[in-house]
Amino acid sequence: MKAAVLDGLVLGLQFGLLGVGLTLVYGLGGVLNLAHGALAVVAATVVALLMDAGLPAGAGVAAGLAVAGALGLLIDSTLMRPVYRQTGEERVLLGLLLTLGVAFMIDGFLVWRFPLRGLSLNIGGEAISILGVRMRSGSLLASVVSILVGVLLVVFFRWSRMGRAIRSVIQDEEGAQLVGVNPVAARRLIFGLSAVLAGLVAITRSMTSPVQVTAGIDFTILALIVTVVGGLGSVLGAFLAGILLGIVNTISSFYIGTYITTIMLLLAAALTILFRPAGLLGRRR
Amino acid sequence: MLEVSGLSAGYHGEDVVHEIDFSVASGEAVIIIGSNGAGKTTLFRAICGLGPVSTGTVTFEGKSITAMPVHKISRSGLAYVPAERHLFPQMSVGENLGLGAFPRAPDPATLKFVLDLFPRLAERQNQHAGTMSGGEQQMLAVGRALMSRPRLLMLDEPSTGLAPKLAQEAYAALEVLRRRGMTLLIAEQQVPLALKLADRGYVVENGRIHKTGTTEMLANDPDVRRAYLGVA
Repeated sequence: MKAAVLDGLVLGLQFGLLGVGLTLVYGLGGVLNLAHGALAVVAATVVALLMDAGLPAGAGVAAGLAVAGALGLLIDSTLMRPVYRQTGEERVLLGLLLTLGVAFMIDGFLVWRFPLRGLSLNIGGEAISILGVRMRSGSLLASVVSILVGVLLVVFFRWSRMGRAIRSVIQDEEGAQLVGVNPVAARRLIFGLSAVLAGLVAITRSMTSPVQVTAGIDFTILALIVTVVGGLGSVLGAFLAGILLGIVNTISSFYIGTYITTIMLLLAAALTILFRPAGLLGRRR
Repeated sequence: MLEVSGLSAGYHGEDVVHEIDFSVASGEAVIIIGSNGAGKTTLFRAICGLGPVSTGTVTFEGKSITAMPVHKISRSGLAYVPAERHLFPQMSVGENLGLGAFPRAPDPATLKFVLDLFPRLAERQNQHAGTMSGGEQQMLAVGRALMSRPRLLMLDEPSTGLAPKLAQEAYAALEVLRRRGMTLLIAEQQVPLALKLADRGYVVENGRIHKTGTTEMLANDPDVRRAYLGVA
């Protein structure tokens, strides 16, 4: 039980990071990015290819994150432009369609070019005992990275001027413009950051289990569930939801079986929609 | 300081205001009087970049700002306080004020000035803006606009939704700003208070400038008295 909770925590921190990007992009621009998971897999694939070519892991990871981020910026500044010109429901729908198209293209390309490629980062070293539970060093490193990045994000959005400016666009775009914030720049920055975070999650996942090129859709679905449970546009909500769902995930796979976990996660999302439609920390619109 | 010439603007290709010409000189307080739907808000939104301009130009301190992005106009020294205020509801009073100075860091002297002008805001620095009363939100909206140290402050109906006493307080604060040399441009339906504050005024009806003159002239104009001052 203790092991399941601890494993869930590790997984949940990564779920949180995965959800943060999606929730912020939606909060800022009303676009539910269905290519979120595909961008994550792009980062992992780049790392795998570069390491095959003999590059050290650190350099590979840096390049993988950079490629994902650049792709995010590119999508925002090209394909998303007509989307942002629309308002309300039309914006949401067009955003869904276009990002779904991007997801198909990326998935198709990866499966065509690198059908058997997967990334697994084997972190060496002994298993370490924490609270009487033996944890693999891969899990530990994944958690440390996730916690560190999570804390950095919270600090950035709470206390930095740029972070506050981005939150101001989520809360009242017109008000933000009136104080001198450029919402176009804020959206672009967050789209890029969101892709980097997605890439980071794929890379930290690969420290505990291999990430295949076909994993994009699973990442996207996970991110959607985290976003629904955490509340749209809430950074802290995404982390809370991630941790909660991570624990639900490991406990249900520990006691019932892995086949049931996705159903349990969807159930958590359904219950949230029923009893707390705005999510854990989301606000009503 | 601000020149508007031949400005037509509206929504969805339909003009609401037509060929508006007016100007505001540095240090002046100018009011735009008009009933609900006369086009005051459309005019203000077009000036500060929030609404589309069909024809005409807007010049601020000698530079054209016609159809410039809102954030650039705001950074150039023109602050606009809309009637709906557009505060950041889930941020504290302090964070709202801090963002007013974006992209720069808040200037301590300006912050002190704003908190002295609105002591209520100083008491409530940690309260979320969304939970404040209408009067306090209006103070915060003006305070946030002042944090950018603007040279022209535009206010759309600063007394909207306020009880008479609070409306008077709001205008008392604007009087302080005027005496310190702030240039003010105010759209208002509550004409008596605004007439006392301003130097000059324009009357807008059906999207066109109908009358103009000093506030004294307007206060004694029979049409204005009948339509806006409730005098038969």
